[in-house]
Formats: sequence, structure tokens, C-alpha cells
Amino acid sequence: MVFGATLRARIREAGLAYLLLLPSLLFLAAFTYWPILRSLWFSFHDVVLGDSKIIWLGLENYQRLWGDRLFWRSLGNTVFYTVLTIPLAIACALLMAVALDSKLRGMAIYRSAFFYPVMIPSVAAGMVWVFLYSAGYGPINQGLRFIGLPDTAWLYDSTWALPAIMVMSVWKYSGYFMLILLAALKLVPSDLYEAARLDGVSAWDRLIHITLPLISPTLYFVVIIGLLHSYQIFDYVYVMTHGGPADATNVLTFYIYQNGFQYQDIGYASTLANVLLLFVGGLIAVIATVFGRRVHYLGR
Amino acid sequence: MTSLQIQTIPSPAAPPMAEPARSALTALRRGWLHLLLVPLALLWLSPLLWILVTSLKARTEVFDPAAGFWPLALQWSNYPAALSVAPFGTYLVNSVMVTGGILIAQLVTITLAAYTFARLTFPGKNLLFTLFLLQIMFPIYATFLTNFVTVREFGILNSLPAMIVPFVASGYGTFMLRQAFRQVPTELADAARLDGCGHFGILWHVYLPLVKPTLIAFGIITVVTHWNDYMWPLLVTNSEGVRTLPIGLGLLAKSDSGADWTRLMAATVVVVSPLLLLFVIFQRRFVDSFMHAGLK
Repeated sequence: MVFGATLRARIREAGLAYLLLLPSLLFLAAFTYWPILRSLWFSFHDVVLGDSKIIWLGLENYQRLWGDRLFWRSLGNTVFYTVLTIPLAIACALLMAVALDSKLRGMAIYRSAFFYPVMIPSVAAGMVWVFLYSAGYGPINQGLRFIGLPDTAWLYDSTWALPAIMVMSVWKYSGYFMLILLAALKLVPSDLYEAARLDGVSAWDRLIHITLPLISPTLYFVVIIGLLHSYQIFDYVYVMTHGGPADATNVLTFYIYQNGFQYQDIGYASTLANVLLLFVGGLIAVIATVFGRRVHYLGR
Repeated sequence: MTSLQIQTIPSPAAPPMAEPARSALTALRRGWLHLLLVPLALLWLSPLLWILVTSLKARTEVFDPAAGFWPLALQWSNYPAALSVAPFGTYLVNSVMVTGGILIAQLVTITLAAYTFARLTFPGKNLLFTLFLLQIMFPIYATFLTNFVTVREFGILNSLPAMIVPFVASGYGTFMLRQAFRQVPTELADAARLDGCGHFGILWHVYLPLVKPTLIAFGIITVVTHWNDYMWPLLVTNSEGVRTLPIGLGLLAKSDSGADWTRLMAATVVVVSPLLLLFVIFQRRFVDSFMHAGLK
């Protein structure tokens, strides 16, 4: 019977599909979704690393979190870092991309110069900037002295430590965002610029009214990538300041690490991890609703 | 996520410059651009320059503000000195094994999954695909704590597999490859089927050869990401035998923090140069990969 044959073919196809997805699903489940569920479970318990005994705590971890000043500090630092670094890096990237979006001599050199920090391991980058920022012999302080400004201890100064890491992050990621924006700029039809130029529209207005709207889907995409990359601040904090001075650079990822690995308090660390996921998820939702709606899609 | 589907379109040829006045104007404008770009590029390159210069200085020169920028004499001996303080050979082998392991595992899982999502119909397809895509939002930085507990329970802490397993499945790679597979004309697959090819035959002989650029792009991004990985290998390793290059470098930095920058910078050059050299040689490939597919 034809009907039975197609049904059997369909079942066989579905079986094959699940079989082919199995390796991915197994690892997705074990290392992405199970950890998230488990950390939710852990957050209601007292869990000590290496101890199999788990004690039900109810909401105690969340109450503790509410009253934990260091948690609020690290959340504040995370917010400060995220909402300043991403726009700054994107602004730099946009400047580079717009400047490079022409048949310029030395294009490949400029592009490499801006992009190479992406290739450098975060630990190496962090270390080099520790050197650049160091007091006394550090090149940045030497430069400041040269133009008559006072020395700053940058990474040892609780006011400047986090901004110093932010500057480094802008250096590390702008080139990456630049490449993605450059790809988008190449797709903007040049006759649009030509027409605007003939109408006497200034370069600035062309940027604001033609370029930005047309590349807005990519900008939106870059913001999301930036957000996901901002997690990497853990590496910089670990290498450069270890959260110091006086927790001025303690961010959520690092605070989770401290609680989980230094104090072995998996329960509380899980609670913090849930807040981190909530924070990033919330930020993505906000960006999606505020920004996503204004995105223009050319020819759609 | 329409924006993920950026495609290469050859940039339109520049319009012919008929009037000399206009080309002069363009030249002037480009001059301004260089005036902006040269300092910016130098600023961006300066950390690299400092790494190189410091790696060739004598130890005391670094701390002497009066010593000037260039080394008095090139201290090549910093390099062997840096390489002898830690087993960088072992680190290198481990880095290659871990990065290579992740790359191979990912290529297998994403090929199978992408083909399934692109060409097969089955119940629950959309839900499962969403699960794959959502993984992009949960990098190891967000799940490291419970993943550490899991790896510990498996008893593979402090081993090379521990550094590989969390990255075997890649939602983003699956997405990228599925997009590429969907652009392969179905007629080709049908023709191969008539010739007696099964699903695996079609995948191997028709699909994979046609999506090579996507595979290379994904491969480059994976290699760059995991070669440079720091947090996860740091958490799951605690002995010399399994450490990777970035971890080794971090340890060296910690053990003589600020004491001997010349040796540290020499080690940094060694750790940084494999990827930077590859980047310089295959610049176009790297740039294209990150331009059109870069998400990690």
C-alpha cells in the first residue's frame, strides 16, 4: 500500500534525523542545558564542592544575595563595564570601518593593525597591558609624564582600574566589530551615496541618515556579539587585578569563581550564576525590543 | 536573526574619474583619511611593538626610565631563558591536541546536525533547532561552575578530554553550516540518489565539497577561539602535563609578576606568534572568515 510505504519512509527519516542529531544533543544536554537546570537546583541548597551532602535551604541563598554588598558591587561593575565598553568599542569600530570603506592605499595594513588583537590570547593581552599600565616604568605613565601629567597607578587605583580594563577591551575587540561592519558597509549600494552627494548632503548627514539605518541589522548583531564577548572580562580580571584593588574590578563572573572555587560554596555561586544569566538574558531582551524594532532591512 | 546571513557581493567598481578636479578632491579626502588612520593604527600596534622591544631588552633597561625605547643591545638570550623556565614544548603539544580535538569533534557533530536540519523532515524540528541556537547565549563563562562539577563527577578533571567535552556541540556551527547546505541545489542531491548514493554518500560527495569555504571559515574561528581559551582550561587543569600554552603563560606571569618583564615578553612572543603568523600568511582567509561568519 502506498500510504503505508510513505508512512514507513517518514518514520525511517525521522529515526535517521534523531540518530544524526544524537551526538550534538548529548553534548548540548550535558554541558549547556543540564548545567543551567542544575545550577537552579543548587541555588536552593547548601552545596559544598567535593561534599556529596546537599542540604535544602529554600530561598536562603537569594536572601543572602539581596543583603550581600559585594554582590551588588560586582553587579554594578559588570553593568558599568558592559554598558560603556560595548558602545565605545562599536563607535571605534564604526569609525575604522567607515574610514576603510573606500579604495584606500594600505587597506590591508590598516585592517590587520586593527584586527590583530583578536588573535592574541586574552591572558597575553592582559599581561601586556599590566606592563603598559605599570607605575613608574610603564610606558603609559612615561608618556603622561612626558606631557607633564601626574602618574597614575592605573590597575592599583580603585577609581581607574576598571576603566583601564575597559580601554584594553576596546583595543582587543574593536577590530573584530570593524570587520563585521565593513562587510555590511560593502553591501550599501554606492548609488545611494552618489545621489545624496549630488543633492549636497554632508558627509556627516550621509553617515547618520543613509549608512547607519542601512547597516542597522549588522549593528544590532554586533551589539549582541559584544554582549556575549563581555563575559571574557573574567580573563582580564583574573590576570590583571584579581578583582582588586578593594573589589573595584570584581565582576559577576569573577565573584562566581571566588565563591565556587575559593570558598567552595557551590550553592551560593550557583545563585550568582543564575543572576548572571538573568542579567545577560534581560539585556538581550531589552536590546531586542528597543533596538530590534528599529532595524531596517534593505529590500525586505 | 536575518543579519547572520550576510553574503559576499563583489563591491561595485569605482566610477571612472573623468574630471581632474574631482580626482584631486578625492585625493585630498583620502589624505585626511590617512591622517586619521595612521595615528590610530600606530596606537593599536603599539602594544605589539612593546612586546617585541621589551622581549629583546636587558632586564634592568625595562625599569630604567632614562633607558629609551630601543634596547641598547639585542638580548636574544631572553628567548631560550623564557622557554627553559617552563615546559613550553608540552604546553604546545597540549594546545594542539585540545584545539585539534575540539575542531574535529565539532566538524563531525555540526555536519551531521546541519544536514539533518537542512534536508530531513521530522517531528520537533523547530524546537530542537531553537535549542541549538539558544546555546549561543550560554557560553562556558555562564555555565562554568556546574560544568566543573559535572566534569569532576565524570572523573576527568585535569585531563585533555576535560578541556574538549564542553565544546563538542556547537549551535552556531550547526546554524552556519545549515545555511550553507540549504544553498546547495536539491537537484544535485537527487542526481546522486539516482546514482545509488545514500544519505552519507550524498553528504560526503555532494554537500561537503560544496560548502568548503564555510567549513574553513568555521574552522578558523574555532581554532582562534580555543587556541586562546583561558578560563576553562585554567579551572580544569592543575598539573604541568596537561596545561595549554595560555595557561602556561599565565602561570609564568604569576610566578615572576613584574620581576622579569623581558623573559615574560619573550614567552608572550612565542605564545602569540603561531596564530599571528598564520594570520599574516592567510590574511584574506582569516579576514573573510571573521567578516562573514564571525560570532564566537
